[in-house]
Amino acid sequence: MSESNTDKKHWLISQAELETWLDSIANARKLIAPRQVSGIMLYRPVAKSDEIAWHEQAPGSAHAGLPVLSVKEIFFPSTERLFTIQKTGQEILLEETFPDWETIVFGVRPCDARGVKLLDAVFLDTNPIDSFYARRRGNTTLIGLACKELGPTCFCNSVGGAPDDAHNMDIMLYETDGGYLAEAVTEKGRFLIPSGEWKETTTSPQHSTSIGQFPIPGKGKWPEHFNDEYWMKISERCISCRACAYVCPTCRCFAVRDEMLAPGEFERIRCWDACAGENYRRVAGGHKPRAEKGERLRNRFYCKFYYYPEQYGLGNTSACTGCGRCIDVCPAGVDITEVLMNLEKPV
Amino acid sequence: MNYEPRIVAFLCTWCSYTGADTAGIARIKSPANIRAIRVPCSGRVSPELVMRTFDQGADGVLVLGCHIGECHYDTGNHRAAKRLPILHSLMQFAGLEPERFHLDWVSASEGERFSRIATEFTEAVRALGPVSWRAAPGGWQAVAKSLQPTEEEVPMPAVDCAGKTDAIRAKAKELLTSGEVGCVIGYEVGPRNQTRPTFVYSVEEVDRLVWNPEVSNNLVSYLPVKLKPKGKEPPGKVAVVVKPCDSRAVNVLLAENQFARDQVHVIGVTCEGVCDGGGNLQVRCQTCSERTPFVYDTLIGEPPAAVHTGPTARADWLESLPPHERMEFWLSQFDRCIRCYACRQACPMCNCPECLYERDDSTFIGLGIGLNEKRTFHLGRAYHLAGRCVGCNECERACPMNIPIGLLNQKLAEEIEAAFGHRAGLAVVPSPIVTVLSGEYKDG
Repeated sequence: MSESNTDKKHWLISQAELETWLDSIANARKLIAPRQVSGIMLYRPVAKSDEIAWHEQAPGSAHAGLPVLSVKEIFFPSTERLFTIQKTGQEILLEETFPDWETIVFGVRPCDARGVKLLDAVFLDTNPIDSFYARRRGNTTLIGLACKELGPTCFCNSVGGAPDDAHNMDIMLYETDGGYLAEAVTEKGRFLIPSGEWKETTTSPQHSTSIGQFPIPGKGKWPEHFNDEYWMKISERCISCRACAYVCPTCRCFAVRDEMLAPGEFERIRCWDACAGENYRRVAGGHKPRAEKGERLRNRFYCKFYYYPEQYGLGNTSACTGCGRCIDVCPAGVDITEVLMNLEKPV
Repeated sequence: MNYEPRIVAFLCTWCSYTGADTAGIARIKSPANIRAIRVPCSGRVSPELVMRTFDQGADGVLVLGCHIGECHYDTGNHRAAKRLPILHSLMQFAGLEPERFHLDWVSASEGERFSRIATEFTEAVRALGPVSWRAAPGGWQAVAKSLQPTEEEVPMPAVDCAGKTDAIRAKAKELLTSGEVGCVIGYEVGPRNQTRPTFVYSVEEVDRLVWNPEVSNNLVSYLPVKLKPKGKEPPGKVAVVVKPCDSRAVNVLLAENQFARDQVHVIGVTCEGVCDGGGNLQVRCQTCSERTPFVYDTLIGEPPAAVHTGPTARADWLESLPPHERMEFWLSQFDRCIRCYACRQACPMCNCPECLYERDDSTFIGLGIGLNEKRTFHLGRAYHLAGRCVGCNECERACPMNIPIGLLNQKLAEEIEAAFGHRAGLAVVPSPIVTVLSGEYKDG
């Protein structure tokens, strides 16, 4: 996803023009956008632009315009068939299944796009390349929508993002009075824009410069806190569900298993897994490396703020995008920002 | 092409299987659609097995056991007689046509009876046509159809929060000072104004404890682990703040020997209902008439007079649908599930050391986050809670995907009450379907 270094082009478009464009995309290709599904907002395929949930506030959700699940599920679905296995007599036939369709995702928020970028470091930029992720990533164009302000649980500007961060998008849209300012961020994005129909402009977007209020402890701070009693204390209310990991744009653990489809026919699937579960990484013989829930919750934070930067060489760039989803969904009120702020305080 | 239903029959080896043999020896015609599976007892046919059979594509499932009073193991068929009708109503509620599942009794000499039941059942299933239980793979791409009607909004009544908060703090202080308890589990208000569980170990921390209209979590779910920590000494007595619904969970866990009564000090608080995010009563509270906890050592607050008899629009509407629409409704709901297990983890009754649906060697469910697996998990969980669910509805509140899981539990609670007159947790009595009731041994 190389970003073009040439001057970015901008267009001013109306809501109607945007909808016409999205309709034409949906006609020819697969369009995925936020939509209302039984009271919550999710990224789902849409056939027409009027199915899109424009800025609707989902009941029970603290965020306007932020689907409950991140765009992660488009590149790294909750369950994915890797290949099928067919056994006939002595012959065993393995057949790979590759996702092959071109997908346009509309209404991606900057935190989610950043999440994709952070997943790229794991699945694309590190050998071995994950060919399933790579195929989906290559076939997908991201059309971003800048947030006008931070939601109640957002803290993207504390972890290096911004509500109007156009990086990691292919096309970025900024809301203006009565319409949108469109920006072609990558070549791939520019190719999708109907330049003939849209009015080009020399206006460029005013970027927000707000700095987040949560100080994130740097990578170097983490090793010394590993054995703190703090982790056992804050995890008391954790109920060890996996909601935080599954809604997270960058949690990427998966389990692999062969399952029988019919006699002599199997599939190898991979599906989401999370360190919050007690059986995560259990080994033969029954040993659980993180049997205490304090250890499991600690792992979630160490994975985001220490292991990830350590392993993928991104300096202090953490694997948290500040979307606030884990705060929204936690049934027990575990709050990542609170955990980070109190890390260096004595218990 | 002629449609021939595939029917799986679980036959008790002592009577019904022999009954089928008797039919064969006597040359009585029975339909060839029956695939007989011999089991040691009809009580051995677990609901998971029946569900799995439908998941695998059976058009109908027939369970035949010995007549009541003639069980080789005395009460094995009592279990079948108690459990399977509950499963039957659950599967109907999830959209299975009722005719596809049948439980009956056939003795070893009743060859003719076997043949008649098998023929009638086969014809009933044939008339329905092929089963549509097993969902076609659609994964996350299937757009869920929204069928659920919205509940009426009932505003949250006024609550004397300050008075209750003071009383809880005073009691906690007294218990911690005297050393009677080592920990008080209560509610606090977090930095984002979210009311959440808290664990207080010293008198200095007592002022964190609060009572307000958002005290939603069922704190009893923390008790089993707290009182039986793995590889550690139990911490002594623990105090827990409970609402009436939560207190029922204490009773169920006591009935199931998860801890002893003298290990907990129950601080019961009278309840006017709990509000959702928008200042209205939570759905569960709209139909709840329980105002005073059923078990407590300390009672806080006066029992409020107000009894909500709000709408049960969702359940009534769902019951009124034809089976295939109910199935469509549930599939569209389960489609959103991400198997995060928040429902299970929030549930005080889900305290198995290892969930049947998460075992690596589970033959009842796959690992995938697919539609069939998700339905198996939710229906299986609902069944395991039959007669045990206390209706706190924390599962539904915990669900990040807004799946109305509580409807399943509510349905089974009604069935259990109608069949056994049992409501979970009103007293220290275990669920009638996980036990053999005393008195059942009397006959024979």
